[in-house]
Formats: sequence, C-alpha cells, structure tokens
Amino acid sequence: MKPVIDLRLCKGCNVCVYICPKKCYSRGAGISELGYYAAVVSAAEKCYNHKREGKLICELCVLSCPDQAISWHPETEEDLKK
Amino acid sequence: MDIFDFYRKDRWPHVFCPGCGNGTVMNCFYRAFSALNLPLDRTAFVGGIGCSSRIPLYISSDALHTTHGRAIAFATGLKLSKPDLKVVVFTGDGDLGAIGGNHFINGCRRNVDMTVICINNNIYGMTGGQASITTPHDFQSTTTPYGNREYPFDLAELAVAAGANYVARWTTRHVHELTKSMKTALQKKGFAFVEVISQCPVNFGRRNKMADPTQMLEWFKESSVRREKVRTAAVDHFDLNMAGQITVGEFVDRNRECYEELIGVEKHG
Repeated sequence: MKPVIDLRLCKGCNVCVYICPKKCYSRGAGISELGYYAAVVSAAEKCYNHKREGKLICELCVLSCPDQAISWHPETEEDLKK
Repeated sequence: MDIFDFYRKDRWPHVFCPGCGNGTVMNCFYRAFSALNLPLDRTAFVGGIGCSSRIPLYISSDALHTTHGRAIAFATGLKLSKPDLKVVVFTGDGDLGAIGGNHFINGCRRNVDMTVICINNNIYGMTGGQASITTPHDFQSTTTPYGNREYPFDLAELAVAAGANYVARWTTRHVHELTKSMKTALQKKGFAFVEVISQCPVNFGRRNKMADPTQMLEWFKESSVRREKVRTAAVDHFDLNMAGQITVGEFVDRNRECYEELIGVEKHG
C-alpha cells in the first residue's frame, strides 16, 4: 500500500514529515488549493507497507495526521517496479 | 466501520488550527471505536466548551454540546436516563479541570459508567492563550508574560485519588499506546478517564519557542517517562516543566462498583 495525501484536507503542518521513520514525506514547495504548503509523498517505495500485499505494518503517519488527509491506496504497476 | 460512516465528511476540513492535536485524538478514537465494532447509533458523545469539545460535532452520531464545564454533569444525567447508551465525553483541560472541576471529581467518586477523554493542551487555546490550570511552571502565555508562577494540576492523579475505574495518560506522540488505552477505556465498566497531552502550536508553542507542531511532538517524546519507572521514586512527577517530565502510562485499572449498580438503574434494552 502507498500513502496518498488529500490536498483538499492537508493544512501543511508537516507532522508526517517529522513522524515518518523512513522519511517518505518531504515539505512541499508549492501552495495547495487551500493556501498551505502541503507535504508531498516523495519516496513511497521506502515505506514499510510497500509491497506487503495490503498488510499495514506502520501506520504512524495516518494515525498522527491531524487533518485525516493521509489514506492508503493500493500500488499501481509502476510503483511495484521500483 | 468505514471512515466515511464515522465522520461527518461534509464538515471537513475541520476548524482546528494546522498541527493541532485534536485531529490525532480523533484518528486514535476512530481506530479504537471501529476495532471494537461498537454501534454508532447506540453511542452518545458529549462535549462542553472549547476546541476539543468540538470533536463530537465531527462524528456522525448523536452529540450533546453542553454548557461550559458541565459535560460530565450532562453525561451523568444522560447515562442515568438511558442506561443502555454508551456515553463518551470529549473535553479539554479548562472545561474539565478548571470550570468543571467539581463535576469531574464527583463523577469519578460516583464512578458513573462513561468514557472521558480529556485533551490537555496546557492552555486556554480557543480564547487566545490565557494561562490555564495545567500550564506548566515557568511557561509563558498571554496572561503570564514573565512565566507562569503557579504549578499545574495533575488531572490523572486527581482521577486516581477520586476513585475512577480506569485512568491513563498519553501524549499525541504515543498514538499506538493511546489507541490501546482508548480501547480499554471503552470496554471498561465505570468511569474511564484518558488524558491526552496535546500540542497547541498556535497559542502555547508560539509563546514558548515551539511554534512548529513537530517541535512540540519532539518535546513530548523527550520528556515522557513511563509511570512504571517513576512509581517508586519520590519525584514531583506532576510538574510538566521543560526540564521536568511528563508521566505517561496506565495509572490505575480496577473494578469498583459503578453508580448504576449502586442505585439500581434498570436497562431497558
């Protein structure tokens, strides 16, 4: 599974950037629709849940996100090649 | 339970400031609630006044938004009139400890069957950052520009002394432990109290050199000490100082007789 940030909800607090033990997230450069510097998923292939066939091992980012913006989505075929 | 059924998604994005810990507590509560498969239509949420007391309004269940500090008093009445309802109170430190301190103590003493989740952000955040009863010693706020002269209240120890059945304290940095404690609290018969030390980067952190929410989370991580380690030592584990510590863990887990059993309230199914 890969994490996806919903830009309609993210308020750019960067808690996910701090809390991720594998440094999957990074601070965003552009301003989102809501007017915040939303975080981006820069390295989804480093995530603990990558290529685990839907099994979730680490969920720190989803549990810690104060705006419920992060959710799990199944990987596409391009993600699995990484 | 699906996340779409649990929250009122049409109210999103919610009113909390960027980086506020209330959303984290909402996540953990959703996990605990959905893992136990509790019925949402047989659960009532009660909130008082404050940032954290707005959480019941984002959950698609029946909610009671009550007067300031009287959340536990309203919840007691609700529980006694409808004993088959599960009552969950979301409240803040100013609401529970300062304005409604007496209701809190007597709720613990009577041991009414309810779950109370107190989000302690160490300040009156909604009204602009005045010092509350839980502001740590030497910390700055709007009303204490030279540092707080007083020492803070320890709500968890107060609940233990007053007779609650289950008491735990975690911070928003301990999400997995918090979820587990919420699960235990929801299953507990009697007064279950979970205190969550939460970050308020806008009104508390900004005046104490922690304007970024991640700095506050780092502070929680560094200053948290498990209760098992401080139980024997005679330390002032209640003062949340920058140099001091936040005692986290399960404080008590016991099975005292609850209020409904004592007065003989019958369940109506």
